[in-house]
Amino acid sequence: MPEAIDRDDVRRLAGEGAQLVEVLPAGEYAEDHLPGAINLPLRRLEAEARDVLDRSRPVVVYCWDAA
Amino acid sequence: MSPRAAWRLESFGFTDVYDYAAGKLDWLAAGLLTEGTNAERPRAGDVARRDVPTCHLDDVVGEVRERVAAAGWNACVVVNDQSVVLGLLRSKEVQADGDLRIEQAMRPGPSTFRPFVPIEEMAELMVGHNLETSPITTSDGRLVGLLFREDAASAAHGMHRQSESNSGGEGS
Amino acid sequence: MNQQAEPARLMCSRCDRDIDSCEFCDEPECPSAICGRCVDLALGQAIAQPHGHGG
Repeated sequence: MPEAIDRDDVRRLAGEGAQLVEVLPAGEYAEDHLPGAINLPLRRLEAEARDVLDRSRPVVVYCWDAA
Repeated sequence: MSPRAAWRLESFGFTDVYDYAAGKLDWLAAGLLTEGTNAERPRAGDVARRDVPTCHLDDVVGEVRERVAAAGWNACVVVNDQSVVLGLLRSKEVQADGDLRIEQAMRPGPSTFRPFVPIEEMAELMVGHNLETSPITTSDGRLVGLLFREDAASAAHGMHRQSESNSGGEGS
Repeated sequence: MNQQAEPARLMCSRCDRDIDSCEFCDEPECPSAICGRCVDLALGQAIAQPHGHGG
């Protein structure tokens, strides 16, 4: 089960080499994204996640908010 | 979206997946740096003055007024020990009866704004409402700085001038 | 017989919602008063509607 984390965890994991993934559409990603995050919109996850992401490293996904 | 994405990645065989549930809004509201086109636009947190004097509820107006004036300011933000904003003394409140406690003289519970708010929008509202100063805080209410109307308007004006200059330079 | 005039209602200048004071400048008689929701939308502190692609 994916673990829900807070922003302190995000900073720690990023420092340890985790892959940050924004799953919002490209336009929203282009405006603002977490430093070092890549963009993998949710509807492209099926097609691209296995090619783009490294299974050996942790992955942190995020969108706009919890609403 | 992110919970669904996290679960889907696990179904692909990714074993170390985390969901930053509070998301980008939480990150922005905390005043943390971002990348992207918005990051190049001045925001309230960039323009707010961070060295604003602060005081506590049980301080006395007279003492605070002296301290604020000595530092060259005419405003002061009322905070608790965790830097959570509880009130505001603008120029009018700083001149209140010197024997009053800050709690009695302050403007309680002022409207506060997030560091990521674009400075143009903030300037427009501050000028339109003739608002002298606005506390900028994180999403948990901690003080980032105090934004002055003049600073906001100046920063917004600087952006317009740069935008016009850029347009003029594109082979018009 | 004295009848106290009802205080004028303050309404958001953008959405007409009844408010007690302007949520931007905190003034109860602000001529351009706006509600908290409209402030958030104007400043990008909230989004107008959920993402079209679901949450």
